[in-house]
Amino acid sequence: MLEIKNLKASIENKEILKGLNLNIKAGEVHAIMGPNASGKSTLSNILSGKKGYEISGEVRFENNNLLKLGIEERAHKGIFLAFQYPLEIPGVNTNNFLKTSLNAIKKARGEKELDAIEFLKLVKKKSSDLKIEEKILNRHLNVGFSGGEKKKNEILQMSILNPKLSILDETDSGLDIDALRIVSEGVNTLRGSKNSFLIITHYQRLLNYIKPDYVHVLKNGKIIKTGNFELALELENKGYENFL
Amino acid sequence: MTLELKNNIEKMFKEKKLPSENIEFRKKQIDIFLTKGFPNKKIEEWKYSDLDHIIKQNISNLNFELKLTGDFNYNNSEILNDFEHNKIIYVNGKIKNFDFPFEERENIEINYNQDFKTSKNSINSLINLNNALTFNYSKIRILKNYNFKKPLVIYHFGTKDINSSVINFRSDFVLEENSSLCVINIFKNHSKNNFININQQYKISKNANLKNYRIDSELNSGINYFFTNIDLENNSNSETFIYSAGSKFFRNEINCNLNDKYSSAFISGIINLNESQHHEIKTNINHLSENTKSYQLIKSVLNDSSKGVFQGKIFVDHKAQKTDGYQLSKSLLLDKDAEFDAKPELEIYADDVKCSHGSTSGNLDENSIFYLMSRGLSYKQSKKLLVDGFLNDAIEKITNQDVKKYIKKLMKI
Repeated sequence: MLEIKNLKASIENKEILKGLNLNIKAGEVHAIMGPNASGKSTLSNILSGKKGYEISGEVRFENNNLLKLGIEERAHKGIFLAFQYPLEIPGVNTNNFLKTSLNAIKKARGEKELDAIEFLKLVKKKSSDLKIEEKILNRHLNVGFSGGEKKKNEILQMSILNPKLSILDETDSGLDIDALRIVSEGVNTLRGSKNSFLIITHYQRLLNYIKPDYVHVLKNGKIIKTGNFELALELENKGYENFL
Repeated sequence: MTLELKNNIEKMFKEKKLPSENIEFRKKQIDIFLTKGFPNKKIEEWKYSDLDHIIKQNISNLNFELKLTGDFNYNNSEILNDFEHNKIIYVNGKIKNFDFPFEERENIEINYNQDFKTSKNSINSLINLNNALTFNYSKIRILKNYNFKKPLVIYHFGTKDINSSVINFRSDFVLEENSSLCVINIFKNHSKNNFININQQYKISKNANLKNYRIDSELNSGINYFFTNIDLENNSNSETFIYSAGSKFFRNEINCNLNDKYSSAFISGIINLNESQHHEIKTNINHLSENTKSYQLIKSVLNDSSKGVFQGKIFVDHKAQKTDGYQLSKSLLLDKDAEFDAKPELEIYADDVKCSHGSTSGNLDENSIFYLMSRGLSYKQSKKLLVDGFLNDAIEKITNQDVKKYIKKLMKI
């Protein structure tokens, strides 16, 4: 599904990713762990199309050259980034935004757009599945939301948009146990033979709830080790300093 | 301004068979105007909007002696069907129709007598011009304890029949004790290059309540000055909302005099411009008695080489202790040639007051655009969502739900 070959990226002449290789097949859950400044967020930014990087190498998503696609086209093709710091958008009603987003994606795929009633039904179901209070959906997008509410809102968006590849950029940071459980339930519900995940995290904690198929260690812009869940435990015990 | 013009205007006064006292008053007013001319940037309050220059640039051979002879017709399809309302229809400044089907007429007095006395706020030469050349005047008095059941929409139609002319009109409103009124001024101007000079005066008596909305939403070449004076008595309230987007030039100037205790004035507005449009909102809030309150919120979005201006003044008299005054202006500049000028002024002579103001200008936040696009929205959709969201703050201040809905419809939110 996602194939990254020798990906290099720099910003303002500073090289951050230095030849990264990664292969994610449909239905797989991959975790990338790494210390601060190892290039984790740069990887998620590049996959979702954020501008400002000089990039070389190859990234293929299904049969597309991902690097040539615009930000919104990547979303249409089924890529979703759960932001580390979701933006606050004043004056924009969360429900309206979700509907605009879902219908933009459906329209691009040539699918039938949802009307207001169909959409409300879908949101009601998804938010009750995730135990998200409906009242936050009538507030302005992320405005005045707590850290936990923002992350839950990201997961709700993910479950409504039903992406093929979800990238979770340190979604677990700053979450209490309850919010962590909601986030991981969101992932586990969506998990299946078609949906893949790339979970970027600093800590092993989230991986107790979402058991990844593969764990990669990112350091200094490269993946230096790949293993299974045991690798995450080993990292947590030894710490990055000793491990590397 | 030539002697010939002056003579022609005086001849016009005689033809209209006005009382001699009224002619004298008008003569004096036109003299003042002709001496001062149109306001220009040398006058501090007009430094961001040089009207003299703007008129010269847009209108050649400005005609002051508008002969209202033709039968000006408006298009019935331009009458709103979004909500039930009473109507006053002006076509090219001429009163065409008064229609109050929803009201008890015994509680409303309408007076068309052109022999009005000077308005006391001769704050600039345009008021003098209006005093001199207004032949379409109405005064509406709402009697004690009467609440208008439906809004009153004042339509300002301009037809293709006229161009390069000065059109003056004035209406006065008196709200007696415990009465209430919702007025909506709507501009539908299809004329070319006219200068439209409007003066509206409101007297809000004890416990009375005014909602005052104005909507200039359709692109047109009009140059407009709309002066509004609102006098507020004990425990009365006025709410003003301005949607400023259609005309080539528009200056809304609003004077609120909080004359007595517990009176309050709220002003919110949107300036939303494209191309080379230039709009200004100028406010003067005068806190003249204790325990008075004012609130102002102006949101502006400037595209292309358009220019927006907000000059907001809060004046607090030494008697006006416990004043609560607030003012905020925020603008989004979406092109490198767009301009926004803000001049907040606080003039405070009392010591126990709460007054604050703020002003910000900026462009769209790139990270917010990225966030929205990563959810599948195009750049255009993301921009519209952010801009609408930005403007929505001001729209939410509108307390009449019909008007709020109508404005959202206009903006396709």
